[in-house]
Amino acid sequence: MPDHITQINYLDPELLQKLGDLELVAREVVEGLRVGSHRSPLRGFSTEFAHHRQYVPGDAIRDIDWRVYGRTDRYYTKLYEAETNFDCHVLIDASASMSYGSGKVNKLEYAKFLAASMAYLVLKQRDSVGLSIFDSEVRTYMPPRSAMGIIVEIDKQLRDIVPTPKTTVAKQLHDIALMMKRRSFVILISDLLADVDDIMAGLDHLRFDGHNVVVLHTLDPYELEFPFKGTWRFEGLEREEPLTTQPERIRDDYVANLTEYLSALRAGCVGANIDYKTVDVSRPVDGVLNEFFAERATTLTGGAVGARL
Amino acid sequence: MSFLNPLLLLGAFGIGLPILAHMLNRFEVRHTDWAAMQFLNRSVRVRSRQLKLRDVILLLLRCLALLLIVFAITRPATTKKAGPLAGLGEKHVGMVIAIDASFSMQHDDGTRTRFDDALEKVQAIKEGIRPGDPVTLVLLGAEHRVVARNVAFDPDEFDEMLDALEPTDESLDIESLPQRLKDLAADMKAPQKEIYIVTDMQAQDWKPRSAWLRDSFKALAKHASVFVVPLEGGSENLAVTGFELMSGVLRKGTSARYRATVRNCGATVAQQVRVAGRVNNIIADTKVIPSIAPGASESVSLFLPFRDAGPVRLVAELSEDPLAADNVRRAVAVIRDKVSVLCVEGSSKGGGSSGGLIAAALRARGNGQGQEDLEVHSVAWVDLPGQDLAKFDVVVLADVPDITTEHAAALDKYVREGNGLIWFGGDNVKADVWNERSALGGTPLLPAVIEEQMRTSDAMGIGRPLDPSMTDHPVCRSLLSLPEDLLSETRFRLLLRVTPSTTGMAVLTLAGSDSPVLLEQTLGRGHVFMFTTTAGAAWNNMAVTPVFPMLLQQMVTYLTAREFETSRTVGDSLSLSYVEQPDASDAVFDTPAGETLTVPVRDYRNQYVALLDGACEAGFYLARVSVQAAGLPVAVNVDTRESTVKRLSSDEVLALLKGAGVNIVRSREGLLAVAEEARTSRSLWRIFMMAGLVFLVLEGLFAEWLTGRGARAKGNAN
Repeated sequence: MPDHITQINYLDPELLQKLGDLELVAREVVEGLRVGSHRSPLRGFSTEFAHHRQYVPGDAIRDIDWRVYGRTDRYYTKLYEAETNFDCHVLIDASASMSYGSGKVNKLEYAKFLAASMAYLVLKQRDSVGLSIFDSEVRTYMPPRSAMGIIVEIDKQLRDIVPTPKTTVAKQLHDIALMMKRRSFVILISDLLADVDDIMAGLDHLRFDGHNVVVLHTLDPYELEFPFKGTWRFEGLEREEPLTTQPERIRDDYVANLTEYLSALRAGCVGANIDYKTVDVSRPVDGVLNEFFAERATTLTGGAVGARL
Repeated sequence: MSFLNPLLLLGAFGIGLPILAHMLNRFEVRHTDWAAMQFLNRSVRVRSRQLKLRDVILLLLRCLALLLIVFAITRPATTKKAGPLAGLGEKHVGMVIAIDASFSMQHDDGTRTRFDDALEKVQAIKEGIRPGDPVTLVLLGAEHRVVARNVAFDPDEFDEMLDALEPTDESLDIESLPQRLKDLAADMKAPQKEIYIVTDMQAQDWKPRSAWLRDSFKALAKHASVFVVPLEGGSENLAVTGFELMSGVLRKGTSARYRATVRNCGATVAQQVRVAGRVNNIIADTKVIPSIAPGASESVSLFLPFRDAGPVRLVAELSEDPLAADNVRRAVAVIRDKVSVLCVEGSSKGGGSSGGLIAAALRARGNGQGQEDLEVHSVAWVDLPGQDLAKFDVVVLADVPDITTEHAAALDKYVREGNGLIWFGGDNVKADVWNERSALGGTPLLPAVIEEQMRTSDAMGIGRPLDPSMTDHPVCRSLLSLPEDLLSETRFRLLLRVTPSTTGMAVLTLAGSDSPVLLEQTLGRGHVFMFTTTAGAAWNNMAVTPVFPMLLQQMVTYLTAREFETSRTVGDSLSLSYVEQPDASDAVFDTPAGETLTVPVRDYRNQYVALLDGACEAGFYLARVSVQAAGLPVAVNVDTRESTVKRLSSDEVLALLKGAGVNIVRSREGLLAVAEEARTSRSLWRIFMMAGLVFLVLEGLFAEWLTGRGARAKGNAN
């Protein structure tokens, strides 16, 4: 077992928050991942097919083009243009709802870690990475670049995020889809607290434009489990009508609503060939990413290849 | 509405606890910002409101249940006028039933006694008692005896109690009655209380205290409904109200004259009243009183012979009349074989000395013969140290100059042991020495402090006679039969001025002054008589008049009597005194009914006494110093103040109790009807308790139902 695995606790969200430097955080997270996997976790993210070449031992079996084999009776592997350079666009929801956190790290902070880590990871592969921050409107749009210096700008933009009370995820996804010129790898980091149909409409727009979409659905453990006891007054972060109640007595109803919502969202994503991952913001960032990439690798080698373009 | 336990109403504040818990829960609201408000959607909000409503309903049910249970514990009661609840409660009544058991209730009109009539009335009262109602049964007498206190009514047990009741030989202490009944009623926990007084309402008890009784019953009626149940019955009754020794010596072979007094307590003249005198239950003399007017008393003399020595039981008895308890009067006499008197003479004069006069007076008989059963031994005072006092029943000190400390102590002990001392003054008496040495013990030997000689004769040298208005002392009774001119022949020229001690009592005084001639005091079990004059003729002429032998013989008879010869009245205490600490720690009293009571001997002021509190039966008790010892009979008689059995008339009863708020009920039917009418309070505690429990169950079922409903909804959701 590599040494860094024993230091996994250092990647605890609370600890990362103390670090402050997002680049450092991203490096810590990503280096851990790289050392752990010995291969790029973004392998296969490419989108542009380039040409075929003769199979040589060592090539991945999954890259063999079986149709060509059927016609020529020879093994050829597919080469993708994106393997050399692809655009990754990270979208961050900066609405007020993202500022909720039952622990020391709220969803927005966690989203920042995730975004920085992803950006760093992409850049390390010498691909391009861009960043969009939105709430009720698109606050920041950084087109993808492959220069390492962009990480500093991303860091600055992330630091400057000020949550605003209202978000309209669907509209912003439409707007961002219009801004993106190339087909890209889009990573949406949001709590997606909106109508499922609206969200899916926005995501479908991205998919329709040919983007490969990944949704990292950040939720606080309290939002997932609703473990409150006693009498609580819930003040909506996005100016909803407050509610005073005894949460433990309505927990079942809450969980039912949440489950229904998550099921609908997950079903919508699967239907639209979107990678979907619920992220518990109390979990270590690298663990979440590791799990995500492992699941994605399984998906890519399994029947859910449709998620790839 | 009233409450039996009003203080427990404070428990109603207990409903504040669930409310407080509810409010604390409501007010202790924590705030949080919340992003996922979309999951707290309309259905959750509706559900939350449902929960609040449910909580309020459960809280109300809980508070209501608690309130009702607290109400039930406070034992509420209401009346018919108090509203709709009145019709629901139970008529629970606490009853105090007081039955007059004084001996007048034994009055028999030929068919049954008043007490039987009282029990019949109580049976009628019983019909209005519900099983379980608290009942107190008390017998009224000199001491009101509670037979059953606050017991839950059970008809069979109650009948057993009534069967065991009997009238007493006591008189009725009516003055303590209202307070006693009030205490008994206060001791009872019931929504309504009733007091029944079943009594013959003797006019002599009730009439003189009518105003006080009215006020007392008025106060009593504030605490309970009071019912007076007067009993019927005639008023005819004869009673032996007195039986005492008038004259004679109580010695074997002699007879004594006893006086029996009979009072006609009825309203008609009693004719040919036969009075019998019994000695040890054998009729010794019978006299007939021709007639006794209503309210008047007549006396007869009964001559009772004493053939044997020892204690004898004497009885004066009437022939049958409606009330038997007061037809008998008892007395006890201790008959002696012989009486020895030591006469100590202080005067140095010879033949006509006081010693000789005393001996002659003691021996004198009406028939001129000397008394063989009386031995008088005369000695000079200087020879006193050589005498064995234990051989003598009475010591007479005549003009003895002084006394040594040792002899004073010896005489003190001698008297305390139950013997008698008669002391005469004279010229030789050294007052200072006697005063000093007779007072060495706790109680002085002599009943008065001697001062100086006092001349009581007039200028002509004629002394003063005795005061003819004498006390009813046994010693004086024989003098009362003397003609006044004969009594006035006795003249006293010179007396010792004395100051009576706290224990001394003047028996005879000089006419026209308070100067005592004869004083008496009790010392231990004996008595001391002190003459302030001489036994001889130096200061008076008493020795040559009939007064002297009569007095001396009565004194010797009195001094040689025993303490239990005095008759007692029912309710009096019987005491048995000991000279020294007894071997047995308990004395024994046998009651007239044959019961044996053991009484501990206690030390009272250096005297050992066994005290039996309250002799409650009339008859002869037998007092014994131990179980094996021979007994001394003690005569106990009824208090004849109770013998006037005349009742108040109906008008008098109405007038006496008018405005007192008391119900007067005579008939059985009236008793039931009036009680039912007065019984307006109803106990509501069962209703409140049931309602409280129902609400508790409802609350539990409701909560359970809601929980189950929630679980089913959850199951359906899953």
